[in-house]
Amino acid sequence: MTSTLDIIIAGGGRVGFQTAEILADLGHDVTIIEQDERVVTDIADEWMATVIQGDSTNPDIIEQAGIDQADTIAALTGETGLNLAVCLAASELHPGVRTVARIDRAAGEAYTRFVDAVVFPERAGARVAANEVVGSDVQTLADVTGTLDIMLVRVAEGAPAAGKQLTDVRFPAGALIVSDEDGHRIARSDTTLTPGGRYVVAVEPNVADEVMNLMRG
Amino acid sequence: MSGSQTRSPEAELGLLDATMIGMGAMIGAGIFVLTGLAAEIAGPAAILVFALNGIVTAFTGLSYAELAASIPKSGGGYAFVREIFDDLSSFIMGWMLWFAYMIAGGLYALGFAPNFLELLHVYGLVPPPDEVGAVVVPVVDAGVPLAFLLAFVAVLGLVALNAVSTAASGSAETVFTIVKVSILVVFVGFGLASPMFSGAEFQPLFPEGAGATAILPAMGLTFIAFEGYDLITTVTEEVENPRENIPKAIFASLIATVIVYLAVVTVAVGTLGADGLADAGEAGIAAAATSFMPTGLPIIQNGGALIVFGAVFSTLTALNAVVIASSRVAFSMGREGQLVPSFGQIHHRYGTPFVAILSSAVVMLGSVALPTQSAGNMASLFFLLSFIIVNVAVIRLRRERPNMNRPYEMPFYPAPPLIGVALNLILAGVLVEYLIRTDPLALVLSVAWILLGGVAYLALNRVRAQPDRDLTDADTEITPEVED
Repeated sequence: MTSTLDIIIAGGGRVGFQTAEILADLGHDVTIIEQDERVVTDIADEWMATVIQGDSTNPDIIEQAGIDQADTIAALTGETGLNLAVCLAASELHPGVRTVARIDRAAGEAYTRFVDAVVFPERAGARVAANEVVGSDVQTLADVTGTLDIMLVRVAEGAPAAGKQLTDVRFPAGALIVSDEDGHRIARSDTTLTPGGRYVVAVEPNVADEVMNLMRG
Repeated sequence: MSGSQTRSPEAELGLLDATMIGMGAMIGAGIFVLTGLAAEIAGPAAILVFALNGIVTAFTGLSYAELAASIPKSGGGYAFVREIFDDLSSFIMGWMLWFAYMIAGGLYALGFAPNFLELLHVYGLVPPPDEVGAVVVPVVDAGVPLAFLLAFVAVLGLVALNAVSTAASGSAETVFTIVKVSILVVFVGFGLASPMFSGAEFQPLFPEGAGATAILPAMGLTFIAFEGYDLITTVTEEVENPRENIPKAIFASLIATVIVYLAVVTVAVGTLGADGLADAGEAGIAAAATSFMPTGLPIIQNGGALIVFGAVFSTLTALNAVVIASSRVAFSMGREGQLVPSFGQIHHRYGTPFVAILSSAVVMLGSVALPTQSAGNMASLFFLLSFIIVNVAVIRLRRERPNMNRPYEMPFYPAPPLIGVALNLILAGVLVEYLIRTDPLALVLSVAWILLGGVAYLALNRVRAQPDRDLTDADTEITPEVED
């Protein structure tokens, strides 16, 4: 019913912290459970979430984080077993809550029998790293809903659109240049497709080849 | 605030800006509009009234500071209460706070009108404003529709402005506030130096026949003058290092405002006298200024005009602040599903909480038809009630979430929130009793608003209980984060 989610994140370390930041940026209400005094201070400095200091497997602490009103709890500590325990405890306290557990090995996929979703940050990171290692000129980014592809495309020398401003290029309907070169800004009509620059592009599959032709030649 | 603004990675507002937002919202209507009315009720003790109100509100200020430091949301009081209370209680809080801001808007507009007329009068553009002001039922009817019209237009203009464009930045607010305070400093300086003040008469302190008890209803009426520091907690996300700066800004703005108020009221009572202030009503400060400011100056001709301009400027900027504040409360409630979802949506073209602003405008425009005193009493009453809930929220959070990280912890807990609740309850009780005796209209309207809230709450729950009803959710725009 509401447009913002009430989210609890157990573990405010590297993964939990980044996740909380993204969610808070999207306007959701985030509460973080974190035991380490130093990490708590860091989070408070960033001003993105209410912090409960304590052990996230302790039911009393989970309750203090407001589990009875939460839509989702994501256990993102480095310990798979601990994450699982947090999710199970949370489900016990608030049966309707969506649970997400961080895992640290592929075998953890089996845990979806107990939790609603698992995340494997190392593998997600590895995918990005592999992309970078290959350094390919066209990369598909994250899994997007539906059939749309969000891609990172390097404009090739001598391609039809190379060196042109977006106003001068007629991309087919169903394609959208999202970012400027190297992805710091959203593309404007005066964005220039610099050869060698990489652009975030959204395309419908049936025009993807046409877009590739324009940008890669 | 739940998603109403993008959280900017670089905070833009410093401690000074945050303090000025609080002061800018406080210094405006309360002091310019209500000093005359307070003098009418309490005589020269109006000075005490403002001092005591500052003390009363300081306890709630502590609560706001603790909540704002530990709950990183830019929603102000409603967001904090939403954090810990169930649906009904947080709905009531939002509903009351929303009303309080709207009525405050009406009050500021009502204060703007006579001061604006006074400004025109100083330059001889209109005949002198009605001698009796809003104190007695005006004998001359002609002045009233004009003032009403002015107030109406002021609300309309600022609503339109905020409906189609996003709010001015905090730095503009800082400039406005400095202008306001400077004008008041000039007022105090000239007032203290004027021969009228040397013969100041603060005796008898209390009006005859009322005694010291007259202070209480006057406190109730002018309580709204200290509303505004809470607006600091609606912009927390834009403030740098908020967990340190927000509490500091709250206290700094409160202390500075109390000092300014006391100086201004002392000078006003000392020069014009309590009776003169009472006669001038909403334009009390302006009238005091015209009595002692030097005349024959280049350009502005009459020094008093500067102060009157200050009053006009202050009421308008404070009105602007509550137009934004009221719409933000309604917007937050819409986001949280406590009002119809359209309240929590941003207009596709203007980028403003359009529905929230327009609906707030309806009540504001209606409230300018009220007598100034009724508007002041109602706004004060609802702020008192909502501040009680804020204090209770602190106590509940401490008890139910002892492990919550609190970057700022108030000293001497639990005394401050308990004292805050007690004092606010006393003032609210006195105010209600006073309304029963003198202003049944305000009381009826207040009760009607609460009842309307009950109906709205039940209706909304009924709607939500029928998922087959076609209610569109506000969609947050989700763009996948791209990491390179």
